[in-house]
Amino acid sequence: MTELLLRNACVIDPLNRVNGDVMDIAIRDGWIVESVGNGAEVIDARGFLTLPGGIDSHTHICGTKVNFGRYMMPEDMRAGRTIRKGVMHATSGYSVPTTYGNSYRYSAMGYTSILEGAMAPLEARHTHEEFSATPLQDTMANTLFDGNWPVMEAVKEKDVKRAAAIVAWTLAAVKGFAVKLTNPGGTEAWGWGKNVTCIRDPVPHFEVTPAEIIETLIRANELLRLPHSVHLHCNNLGAPGNYQCTIGTFDLVPDLNKERQSLYATHVQFHAYGGTSWKDINSKAEPVAYSVNRKPQIVIDMGQMMFGKTTTMTADGPMEWNLYRLHHNKWSNHDVELETTSGIIPVYYSKKSLVNCVMWAIGLELALLVKDPWQCLLATDNPNGAPFVRYPEIIGLLMSKRYRDEEFRTIHPDTGKRVILDTLDRELGWHDIAVMTRAGQAKALGIAKIGKGHLGVGAEADIAVYPIRIRDTDPSRDYAAVVSAFQRTAWTIKRGRVVCRDGDVVVEGTNRTIWANSRVPEAFDMGRDPEFVKKFDRYYTVRMANYPVQDAYIPRSGCIESEAVL
Amino acid sequence: MRVILTAKPRKKPLIPVEAETIIPRHFRQGRDLTVWEGNRERSLRDIFDVMVERTAAAAEEVEVILRGDVSRFKRVGEYMDAGKITIEGDIGMHCGNFMTGGTIEIHGNADGWLGREMRGGRILCHGNAGHYAGSGYRGEKFGMKGGTLEILGNAGDFAAEYLAGGEVIIHGNAGDLPGVEMVNGTLTIHGNCSRPCGNMTGGTCTVLGTVRGMLPTFRKNSTLLHGSDKIPLTVFEGDIANRGKGILQVREYSYDD
Ligand SMILES: [Zn+2]
Repeated sequence: MTELLLRNACVIDPLNRVNGDVMDIAIRDGWIVESVGNGAEVIDARGFLTLPGGIDSHTHICGTKVNFGRYMMPEDMRAGRTIRKGVMHATSGYSVPTTYGNSYRYSAMGYTSILEGAMAPLEARHTHEEFSATPLQDTMANTLFDGNWPVMEAVKEKDVKRAAAIVAWTLAAVKGFAVKLTNPGGTEAWGWGKNVTCIRDPVPHFEVTPAEIIETLIRANELLRLPHSVHLHCNNLGAPGNYQCTIGTFDLVPDLNKERQSLYATHVQFHAYGGTSWKDINSKAEPVAYSVNRKPQIVIDMGQMMFGKTTTMTADGPMEWNLYRLHHNKWSNHDVELETTSGIIPVYYSKKSLVNCVMWAIGLELALLVKDPWQCLLATDNPNGAPFVRYPEIIGLLMSKRYRDEEFRTIHPDTGKRVILDTLDRELGWHDIAVMTRAGQAKALGIAKIGKGHLGVGAEADIAVYPIRIRDTDPSRDYAAVVSAFQRTAWTIKRGRVVCRDGDVVVEGTNRTIWANSRVPEAFDMGRDPEFVKKFDRYYTVRMANYPVQDAYIPRSGCIESEAVL
Repeated sequence: MRVILTAKPRKKPLIPVEAETIIPRHFRQGRDLTVWEGNRERSLRDIFDVMVERTAAAAEEVEVILRGDVSRFKRVGEYMDAGKITIEGDIGMHCGNFMTGGTIEIHGNADGWLGREMRGGRILCHGNAGHYAGSGYRGEKFGMKGGTLEILGNAGDFAAEYLAGGEVIIHGNAGDLPGVEMVNGTLTIHGNCSRPCGNMTGGTCTVLGTVRGMLPTFRKNSTLLHGSDKIPLTVFEGDIANRGKGILQVREYSYDD
């Protein structure tokens, strides 16, 4: 039995309605308990801001696509180098760091759980291998179903239960956490050198529309009682005028779940563009936020873009091709048979580029215009909008109008004509930030019930203590202090153990992989479905028996079981 | 000021030494310098016998002389901006990385990446240079941007890859693929080479020997007589596969079948 007492912690714990109370937190064997004995180890938090461990609900840190980014961008390895120190391995890389680099930097920022935004089922082993080398965060993987052939056939037959059964079989086979749709239908069209422009375009051969894929999978997802909702990267990412497609997509979404949203729309900054071309692109954050404000069934994340160098990587192959034609820099492209695609290009977001300045403003506008912070979470689609190490700056910008105004003065002078950011006075508070960086994620991902994202008795003791006293700090004025506090915790505690102290990782770490297993009635077991098995063997280049990820790839399994209602 | 660094015999002479601290400016400041031998940080005096003559008012007046076996010493002269480094024998990889000024003279051979991403100053190598002399590092789109890199012997493969400015002169032969991805600057090869300048978009490459495996994506434009010896050269433009406007002028050439 190990016991730890965190004393004098100034706690914000939105899921338990705690807002700035100074209290003690008792921890036994990794879990938060009512009290501990006199022999417990004591940490004096000295009134510092104490939050549940950070949770990233959309980031790209592990898997084939990320690793191909590393191959492709050896120059990125020249940045962010750190030497071996104590238990810390040497790391390198800025936008696509080594796995340890990701893990240490997240830990220094107080993050204890992260969700890989896109895992192709066929390539799941690679994601899980890299998860096991990301030791300081519990990990989850969004599993791609946007161009899944059997799913599209079920969609065409309007068979929601069959779609659900395929999802259940696949998630269990690849140890996936949630259903991800990246440019649904578009990634299959890309196999033919085509794309879909929005939700009503038919997908070649399958003759289903993205709208039908999205609607069917939202319903299938709820039949399976999965912890998370469908996680959607909308069609037509990054195209001027795409906001209408985004709003049209939101209008499809039924409200099916009382505990959380029915759709998580990711990196919405990239989907809130007005105008008709790069020449007249402008912000449509307002109508998009208005749509979200009227629909409790939707949660979005910002997909904030920050100026500087980074790498874009997504399963959205056709979109990356368009970016390549814009930049003429290096480009990679990948087709995953029967499932999805991907593409990667490096980018430099510049304050001299009006388009980039508009993008920067849109992400912030979304966070300021969506009224309820539980509905707009903080993320950059790491590394697409910016590497996650920029999160503290985003927190600073959201909390300080003055900081935004100062930044605004340094960007392209015409930006003000395209955006409304400079007219928004709202400044988010500490509680809002706690929601947008952990509590909201825990709720949206459906992992609060396994003890994530809160600090109540029975919660897993994942805790971040930031070296700042909120009563002595006016974030509006002292935004620099806020940014620096969020860059480096005083203590990051993972499952009851101090894993990071003042920015230095102090233990090897042993993470868990959280995945979802929805038990379906036998009649819906796709492993025994003759049609499914026949087509699998006919079209895949791997045998069905070799497809599932073996248990050896999941050294510490955190399975969330559910009972499907089919 | 003259600083003579004589390498002491090492127990394991194959372990590389990271010696980017060895630039003239650092010696004028009288700092305690260290280098990394494998994964161990060492004082300069553990590795070298150090002899210092006179003092200097500016880095320009500092000459650093390297004696003994420094063939596994990497990054000597990295970010050097003034003064002189003389290497009496062979030098290891990455000598003169990013240098902006001053002179490096190597009396022996240089290992790979000599003067990579150089910005200014001068490197003179009396012997041969390894692969990637005067090039960009992995993934980088611009290699050497300024200064002069002169190799009296031969150069390895990928010499002046991503050349973006300055001058590279190779008196002997160059290996395979010199000047690929060149965007600017001048590259002169007095000897032979194979498959030069693929994907070049700008700059001038002159080969006074024979080119083997001439790339078919260069358009023959004209001929000229080069220099006081009036060497007849065929002038090509390319790489047209890349809509390039570079100039490749060669004395003799043959295409692969
Ligand atoms: Zn993403």
